[in-house]
Amino acid sequence: MLLNRKQSGKRWHLRPDGAPKVTGQLQYLTDMTLPNMIHGRVLRSEYPYARLLSIDTSEAEALEGVYAVLTSKDVPGLNRFGIATPDQPVFCEDIVRYVGDAIAAVAADSPERAALALDAIRIEYEELTPLNSTDAALAPGAPELHEHGPGNVLHRTEIKRGDAEQAFAACDHIVTETYFTPRQMHAYMETEGGLFVPDEEGRLNVYAATQHGYKDRMQLARIIGCPEEDIRVVSSPIGGSFGGKDELNVQPYGALLALRCGRPVKMHNSRKESVRAGLKRHPMKIEMQTGMSREGIIQAHRVRITADTGAYATLGAPVLNFCTEHCLGPYAIPNVDVEGVSVYTNNGLSGEFRGFGGNQAIFAMEGQMDRLAAIMNMDPWEFRRRNMREKNDPGPLNQRILVTDGLSQVWEALDRSELWQKHQSPPADPTLPPWIKRGVGAAIAMHGAGLGYGIPDPAGGRLSLNNEGKIEVAFSYEEFGQGLIATLEIMLCDLFQCSTSDLSIIIGDTDRVPHSGSSTASRSTTMAWMALQRLQSPFRSRVLAVASEISGIPADELVTGPGGIWRKGQLPAESSEVETDVQETGKSEKEVVLALEDVNQTSEEAGKLEKAERIEVAEIVAVGNESDQTAESCLGASPYHAKEGVSSGFVVSYAELVTQGEADEWIFDTKFDYPTTPDNVVGGHYLYTYAAVAAEVEVNTLTGETKLLDTRHVVAAGPVINPMGFIGQIEGGSVMALGFTLTEDAVMQDSRYVTTNLDTYLIPTIQDIHTNLEVEAIEDLPEGDAFGPRGIGEIGSVALAPAITAAIHQATGVWVNRLPVPREQLVRPLNVPLQEGVSPS
Amino acid sequence: MSKPLENHWTAVVNGEQKHLEIAQTTRLVDVLRTHLQLTGTKVSCEVGRCGACMVLMDGEPVNSCLVMAYQCDGSDITTIEGLHGDEKGTLHPIQQAFVEEGGFQCGYCTPGMVISTKALLDAHPEPSQEQIETGLCGNLCRCTGYGGIIRAVRKAGERCVEKETSAEETVS
Repeated sequence: MLLNRKQSGKRWHLRPDGAPKVTGQLQYLTDMTLPNMIHGRVLRSEYPYARLLSIDTSEAEALEGVYAVLTSKDVPGLNRFGIATPDQPVFCEDIVRYVGDAIAAVAADSPERAALALDAIRIEYEELTPLNSTDAALAPGAPELHEHGPGNVLHRTEIKRGDAEQAFAACDHIVTETYFTPRQMHAYMETEGGLFVPDEEGRLNVYAATQHGYKDRMQLARIIGCPEEDIRVVSSPIGGSFGGKDELNVQPYGALLALRCGRPVKMHNSRKESVRAGLKRHPMKIEMQTGMSREGIIQAHRVRITADTGAYATLGAPVLNFCTEHCLGPYAIPNVDVEGVSVYTNNGLSGEFRGFGGNQAIFAMEGQMDRLAAIMNMDPWEFRRRNMREKNDPGPLNQRILVTDGLSQVWEALDRSELWQKHQSPPADPTLPPWIKRGVGAAIAMHGAGLGYGIPDPAGGRLSLNNEGKIEVAFSYEEFGQGLIATLEIMLCDLFQCSTSDLSIIIGDTDRVPHSGSSTASRSTTMAWMALQRLQSPFRSRVLAVASEISGIPADELVTGPGGIWRKGQLPAESSEVETDVQETGKSEKEVVLALEDVNQTSEEAGKLEKAERIEVAEIVAVGNESDQTAESCLGASPYHAKEGVSSGFVVSYAELVTQGEADEWIFDTKFDYPTTPDNVVGGHYLYTYAAVAAEVEVNTLTGETKLLDTRHVVAAGPVINPMGFIGQIEGGSVMALGFTLTEDAVMQDSRYVTTNLDTYLIPTIQDIHTNLEVEAIEDLPEGDAFGPRGIGEIGSVALAPAITAAIHQATGVWVNRLPVPREQLVRPLNVPLQEGVSPS
Repeated sequence: MSKPLENHWTAVVNGEQKHLEIAQTTRLVDVLRTHLQLTGTKVSCEVGRCGACMVLMDGEPVNSCLVMAYQCDGSDITTIEGLHGDEKGTLHPIQQAFVEEGGFQCGYCTPGMVISTKALLDAHPEPSQEQIETGLCGNLCRCTGYGGIIRAVRKAGERCVEKETSAEETVS
C-alpha cells in the first residue's frame, strides 16, 4: 500500500506530544532549570594522544564562584564507562587517547565562570604521535592504546563456508572493489546535557537523555559506587538521538559534580564540544571480491572489513558483528570467506548509529551486485532476483530465521514501480544541457532487528488500571522523536476500544517503569506489541470479572470501551476507530485549542511551584501524562466518562472499577526476551525487515554535483500501526542516508576534527532533499505470526546509498566506491568518452 | 574616567514590554532562554546555521544566537511563545498544520521552523516550492526528512489565505 495521509484514513493519528512541541512549551531535559543550580563544564584533552605528566587544579579551585573541580582521584567507584565494554575513563589518569577525552570537570555559579575555571587548570602533557588511521594502528610496532590488546584490535569477526578459493578459481567473472564509507555524525539537534539534582533523601535525580535509562543507572551507580536504587534516571523527551546518546556522555560529570556540591548542576554541551566528544558512525574500508558463473550465479564472496572504532570500544564489536552479518546481503552464496576487524585509533569515537553497520555493508554488497550485473549485461534487478535467497534458506550466518515473503515482495513491488521502470529506458530530456546527466538505480536489503543471539535483550512491560481509573502502560523505552507515545496510544486504543483520554503512558523514568530493555535496534514497537499481547488477556479478564460482579451481567457479555465497560455489541460506533483527524472528521479548531490551554496552565502552575514540584511537573510532560490530556483535547473529549456515561450500553467506568479490591490486583507485569534464532550463532538475528529502494538522480558533470530527484522506498515490516510515524521514519531515514551518500563526513586531520560544526559538516537542508519520495508499506506477515509489527527506525536509512551510486553510474558511467560521493570523480570535460567499468582512482 | 557600560536593555517581547539589566554583549538567545525563561527558543549550533533559535525581530527572522542585546535594544521580538491563533492560548494555523501533517518528530527544531514559516507566509502567502525551500533553508531538521514540514507549510499557507479571503469577504 502506498503510504500517505490519504491512504491512512482514520488511522492518521495526531501525536499527543504535538501541541507542546509546536508551541515551544515542551521542556526538554536541557531546558530544565532550578533556582539554586550551578553550571558544569568538562575539560577535554588538547591532544589526540599524549601522556599526562601533571594536573594542577589549585588556581581553578581558588576562583570565586567555583564550587568544585574534579579529576580522576575524585571518582569514588569505577573510573570507566561503556555499555558493552567499559573502557572509557570518566577522567583520564595518565594517558589521553582522543581530543574528546575528559581530564577534569568544574562546577561554578555561571557558565562563564565555569569556562574561566577550565582555563585555570594547568596540565603538562607529553605529546605522542597519534595513530590517525587503522593502517597506522595495525602497523607492526605501533604503540598499544589499551592494555587488553593484542595490538590495537578491539574485535575480529569471521564467516567461512564452502571453499571460496577453489570457487573463485572456477568463476567466469570476478569483481574486485574496495569501498570506503564516512565518519557520519548523528547531528541530533539537541546536544547532550541535562540537570543533575541531589535530593534531601540522599538520592540523585538524573534528567539527561539516553536510549536506555536503566543502563545509565547501572553505569552511574558503578561510577559513584552506590546502589542503583539511589539513582533515578529521567530520560525523555529527547531532541533526537539516532543511536548517538545511547552511551553515557555528560552524565558521569553532572552526577559527580552534583553529589560533590550538594546542589543541582546543569550541563549542556556546545555543538563544538558535542562534535569533539560524541560518537560517530564507524568509518569503514570494505574490500570485496565476488565471483560468478557464466550464467550469472554468484559462487564465491570474499570480504575484508576494517572499521575505525576510535579511542574506546563503545559498541564497536557489536557494530562489526552486524556489518559482517549484513555484508552478504539477501543472497544465497555457497562459498563465503569474510573477515572483519575493528581497530582502536586516536581518532574520534565511533559507536552506535542508526543502521548499526548495515549501511556500510549494504552499500558495498549492492555495489558489487551492480558491477556483476553490468558484466553480464543484465538488468541489475533481474540479476539480484537470480541470486536472492529462497524463502526457506537460512540467514546470512547460516542461522534459522523467521520465514516471511518480505524479500520477494519488496523485489516485486519495486520492479513494478514507475520509477524503476524508467531504468529500462533512461529518461532523455532534450531540454537539459549536455552536461546534465540523469540515471536511475535501485538496491535491496534485509536488516536484522533486536540485539541478536547471545546478547542479553530483555523485554517486558506493565499494564495496570491506576488509581485514577486510567489504563496505564509503563515501559523503559524512550521518546526521542520517533513517535513511540503515539504508537502506544494507537495500540492500546486498538486493543481495548477505549479513547485516548482513558490512557496513561509512562516511559523514560526508572522510578516508574519496569525494566523492559532499550529503545535500540528497531525493537521498541515489536516489544511493546508483544508485551501488550501477553498482558491484555489477564488485564481484560480481571476488568470484566469485576465489572460483572458489580453489574450482575455475565463477563462474556461485556467488553472494554471508551470510559469503561460496555455491553457487547453496544459500544458507541465511533469508538472502535482510532479517530483523530481534526479536519476530516469535522471537529472544530476549538477542540485543538484546548490542548494548548492545558499546556499553558501547566506551565503557569509550574512557575509558582517550588523546586521539587517544578521538576515533577516537567517530568509529567516528559513522560506523557500531560500529553494524554493534550491528545484527548486534540481528538475531542470522550463523551463517555463516568458521570456522562448515560448511553444505554454503558455498564461501569474504569474509575469505579479500580475502587474494588487492592491496588496491586490491578497491576500486570510481563517479562520475556527479544526473539532470537534457536541456533548458536552469536549476534545472529531472527526477525528481519526487508526494503527495496529506487532512486533517480541528476548529475552535473561540470560541477560534479548530484541531485536526487525521485525515490521510492518499499518496506516489508508487517502491519503499519502508526502511519504518520512510519512515513516520518522512512522519510527521515532516507534523508539521513542522502547526507551519508552525498555530503556528510566528519573530516579528521591528524586525529583532530576539521568539521567542527554544522556550517562545515553538511547535513541535508530542505533545498537538498528529494521532494518526490514515495513510501510503500507491505503489511503481510505469516498467518499466526507471534511477533507483530517490526520496527522501522533503521530500515529507511540502509539502502539508499547504493541506489544513488547505481543511478550515478547509469547517468555518468562512473562506478563510485567512496562516500560521500567525491564530486571530482564526476566532473568530466564535454565530449570525452567515458571508460565503462573502470573505477576512477 | 571611562563611562560605565550602559546595561539597561528594553524590548517588546511577545507583545510585552521587558526591561533587563544585562551586559549589552549578551546574545539574544541567552536573553530569551536564561533571563526571560522563554525556552521555546532552542540552542543548537550557535553559529547561525541550524535555525533552532530563530525568532522574529521587527518581523524579520533572525538567528538569536547571532544577535547581541545591543543590536536588538528597543526592538519588537516574537518568539515561538508569542505565536498563537485568534485568541491567546490557541494554536496558530501554522502550528496546527505542523501537528496535523507530522511536521516534526523530536520537536527540537520545530519552534525555529514554525517561526521561519511565519516569516515565509507573511512574505509569500501562497509560496511556491522554490519559495518554501528558500524560506526554510536556514533551518535544519534531522528527523523528518522535511517531507512533513513541506506538507505542513503548504497546508498552513492554504489556511492563512482562506482566512484572509473570508476576512475580506466579511469586510466587504
